[in-house]
Amino acid sequence: MAVSETPPASEAQSIPKPPPAWLSILRMLYRDKFALCAAIFLIVVVFCAVFGPMLLGEAATDQNLRGRNTPPFDFSQHWTMWLGGDALGRPLLARIIVAAQNTMMIAAGAVLASLIIGTTLGLVAGYTGKAASQVIMRLADVIMSFPSLLLAVIVLYMLEPAVGNLIIVLAITRIPIYLRTSRAEVLEVRERMFVQAAQVMGASTFRIVFRHILPVVAPTLITIATLDFAFVMLAESSLSFLGIGIQPPEITWGLMVSQGRSYLTSAWWLSFWPGLAIILTTLSLNLLSNWMRTALDPVQRWRLEISRKKK
Amino acid sequence: MIRKLSSAAAVLLTSSAAFAASHADTSVTVVLSEELDIVDPCEASRSNVGRVVLQNISETMTELVPGEGLQTRLATGWEDLGDGTWQFTLREGVNFHDGSAFDAADVAHSLARIKSEDITCEIGAKFFGGTELTTEVVDDHTINITADPVQPILPLLMSTVTVVPSDTPMDSHVETPIGTGPYMFDEYNRGQNIKLSQNENYWGESPAVTDATYVFRSDSAVRAAMVAQGEADIAPNIALQDASNPEMDFSYPNSESVYMRLDTTMEPLDDKRVREALNYAVDREAFIGTILADGTLLATSIVPPSTLGYNEELEPYPYDPERAKELLAEAEADGVPVDLEITFIGRLNNWGNVTETLEALTAMWEEVGFNIDLQMVEVAEWLEYYSQPFPEDRGPTIVAAMHDNANGDPVFSMYFKYDSEGLQSGVRDPALDAMIADATTATGDERERLWKDIMHYIHTEQVYDVLLFHMVGFSRVNPRLDFTPTIRTNSELQLSQITFN
Amino acid sequence: MKSFLGKRAIASAISLVGLVILVFFLSRLTGDPTDLYLPVDASQEARDNFRRIHGLDQPLMVQFFQYVGDLLRFDFGESIRRSEPAIDAVLRGFTWTLQLAAITMALVTAMAILIGSLAAFHVGGFFDRLATFFSLVGASAPDFWIAIVAIVIFSVNLGWVPTSGTGGWEFWILPVAVLFIRPFGLILQVVRGSMISTLSSAYVKTARAKGLRNRPIIFVHALRNAMLPVITVIGDQAAALLNGAVVVESIFGFPGVGKLMIDSILQRDFSVILAAIMVTAFAIFLMNLLIDILYAVLDPRIRY
Repeated sequence: MAVSETPPASEAQSIPKPPPAWLSILRMLYRDKFALCAAIFLIVVVFCAVFGPMLLGEAATDQNLRGRNTPPFDFSQHWTMWLGGDALGRPLLARIIVAAQNTMMIAAGAVLASLIIGTTLGLVAGYTGKAASQVIMRLADVIMSFPSLLLAVIVLYMLEPAVGNLIIVLAITRIPIYLRTSRAEVLEVRERMFVQAAQVMGASTFRIVFRHILPVVAPTLITIATLDFAFVMLAESSLSFLGIGIQPPEITWGLMVSQGRSYLTSAWWLSFWPGLAIILTTLSLNLLSNWMRTALDPVQRWRLEISRKKK
Repeated sequence: MIRKLSSAAAVLLTSSAAFAASHADTSVTVVLSEELDIVDPCEASRSNVGRVVLQNISETMTELVPGEGLQTRLATGWEDLGDGTWQFTLREGVNFHDGSAFDAADVAHSLARIKSEDITCEIGAKFFGGTELTTEVVDDHTINITADPVQPILPLLMSTVTVVPSDTPMDSHVETPIGTGPYMFDEYNRGQNIKLSQNENYWGESPAVTDATYVFRSDSAVRAAMVAQGEADIAPNIALQDASNPEMDFSYPNSESVYMRLDTTMEPLDDKRVREALNYAVDREAFIGTILADGTLLATSIVPPSTLGYNEELEPYPYDPERAKELLAEAEADGVPVDLEITFIGRLNNWGNVTETLEALTAMWEEVGFNIDLQMVEVAEWLEYYSQPFPEDRGPTIVAAMHDNANGDPVFSMYFKYDSEGLQSGVRDPALDAMIADATTATGDERERLWKDIMHYIHTEQVYDVLLFHMVGFSRVNPRLDFTPTIRTNSELQLSQITFN
Repeated sequence: MKSFLGKRAIASAISLVGLVILVFFLSRLTGDPTDLYLPVDASQEARDNFRRIHGLDQPLMVQFFQYVGDLLRFDFGESIRRSEPAIDAVLRGFTWTLQLAAITMALVTAMAILIGSLAAFHVGGFFDRLATFFSLVGASAPDFWIAIVAIVIFSVNLGWVPTSGTGGWEFWILPVAVLFIRPFGLILQVVRGSMISTLSSAYVKTARAKGLRNRPIIFVHALRNAMLPVITVIGDQAAALLNGAVVVESIFGFPGVGKLMIDSILQRDFSVILAAIMVTAFAIFLMNLLIDILYAVLDPRIRY
């Protein structure tokens, strides 16, 4: 977003004490209004995810059949009804807040797990010997060709449609994308001068991979991970649409969208608000990650310095 | 650029007129909710197959007409010869679509085929399980059919049997069904459509509709939109919330009854007071006109009111949470573990708004003090709970189910749902077993009275389950057609009943 | 290169064998199809018959070797549900899916590279912000939601396109448009990110410093170098589409392999599941091969 701004991290590093670095980051965040809004929104979402079920768990399941599909923006009602009521007359706002917990847990869990596992395997496959690389790539092929729907049906049939199991399903299906991307990047990076220099200087493989190569491939992976966060939330709602995702009485935003879709023509708000929550969350994540890539840029710059030496 | 865009839009607009008006005036397009995996007439009791095949392509010996009772179709008369044998007189001058003449040998072959061990036809499995059928061809147009055990409603059962030519293979499903009906099966473009056209040599009256195309869309909103746009003429089954246009949308009792099957062998559901409490805790009226359609009836038995022996004297349980709490307290005082967690199994997409319905029920039961764990599962898993043998390690279980009996007699329901040996029965009651056995072999007024007694026994005396609703379905019909859906629309869609306005 | 192709073929064959074994046994963990096919009131006798006809009464290992034996003769088994050879159903569906995937990916790739690199040229500019914003919003909405809203708006209210089904080119507009959105957003972001890195790298700066003002040349050179991560993502997105766009296919009544797959999974039609997996896996193998070759072409440093 704000590429012209001076990357401050090196300044921060040159200052001996850490607290001012925090301050300068906050100051920078304050300067980029988009990123600021995104950060605030995400803090609100995390707050909802942590405290929502505790504060509003009761209200969110409080049904009123005769007041079903109450239209939104009736401010004479209790504030939880301001976004309208769902098909059972339950307050949508309260349900969205409560559902934030499951939604965030599933998305964050699946993205983190697949990012860590996928990247590690990808680094190993890209940097180490042929044999390991072959095994890992074949594994990725198998996972990639394994139909995720079948995986979901198997796991949810054998176990049960709980949050943890859904994380397993989604994480497994997302591993190959990190694996392939990080391997592809490593294949390119390892040919560069600085890596070869490190090898000549006798740095251990572990050190080369994690200290020299990982930081270079990280920006691409983070871009993908933030977008994947959205993808996973949507995949979760698609599973709900097909009837093989999380099941009521558990709620997630994806499930709410999917349950509300049959009312799209008669009561749009049932699937619109949770859908909006998904869109805003992903959007915020993306804006913030864009900002982070420019603001915390030493990785990028360090990489540039090295390649200048190469010339 | 803008000019280009608008000319593109103009092209789109002109072509959109083309796809709405693409069919001739006497053709109809029907949009179904699921694709036909199989088109064999011996599977016509499945509603997706039946809506295409039954009475359009393949006809039956007899036909159950709503409001008029059992009528002739390929048989012109029947007579009980005693000892389980019935004699049917067949219609003369009827030909199959392949030109061969219809005679008694075809009927004999059709009956043998539905019971064939090499294809397991649904009609045979559903209506003739445990029944031996033997046939004797008297002459070309007379046949004796004997059922063992004795089957007093054999003529009614014959309304389910589709008649196929005698050279139809016994060991494989056919891909082009051949029948005697008013329409011939033209082609099946799998994944896209099925086409039927008029049978010029039909024995009966020539219908108004000459051609039919069936297409498949799984989403109700899309089906409704297709009829609204003129891309289709009939959507036999759309969701309540899509039935928003009174000009086009018709509701009809669809012969489906919703009930909660209780496992009465497990604590605390083996206690009658607990089962009563479950009944009193449900505000049945609150569902109607909200989650379920206006016109939904409260059920007091598992079969719809048009069924023989339906007991009109039974009253649905009123909504009385106080009474439910009292009953629970009484049971608890006697040491019944009423706070045991009860697993509540629902099947996804079982009916429109099934999830909302069951969530609401859960809340109502929890309100009076039950401890309910709702689990929505897909059909394969649901069947493990619904059908015998039940899982070994189960706790107390309630299974939400919808049962379809459009065949006019409770025999199609009672044995399976309430007999100790019944596949989906949660009841172990020798007295009830004997009552069902008696009613099954009885005839006439006696039969009607016995069924009434059984319904009273189940609903009021023993409270073996939570009977909830007789459902209604919605069809959307293009105003250019004159077609009124009936209770049979769930299982068949007779094109010959459609006329044009 | 030839030995590389041979190696890839062997490696993929190994993956495919592993996949088939895995799917064969795992899918059978999801239960016996008998209850799903017969009416709930079917007798035990009918059930036993059904199991015998479809070989489900045999021990699992016997079933497996039977299947492998048939497979070696290119017999993929019968569909239990459809009483036709499984491979026929799959190839029919796959033809549709392949067309849908090819059209969508061609559009996505062209548009994402064009708009993504334009956005990277003026980072933080109006066009960049607009492109980023809209691609993100589009990619953030559930596809079934977009599909139904699109039908309501463009078919029902405006009457521009048919609601669903197959036929002339106008039937392809909505499915392709809905499928387009998500991969477009993702690839656009990767193109943009990769282009920003490349444009800020030394050789481009050097070229600019030397006075090379010709934008197209910079553009083409930078693009070539920025393509590596982009190609990986394109490959993954295309693979996802080849596996079948189940949600879109279901809603639009599009007879592709994704719809076939979900139906077969829910109905436990094992031979169709396996045949579908083998066909799509083979297609994805071919595509990955293409991607590896592209890598080698774009970056001569990569040797296989």
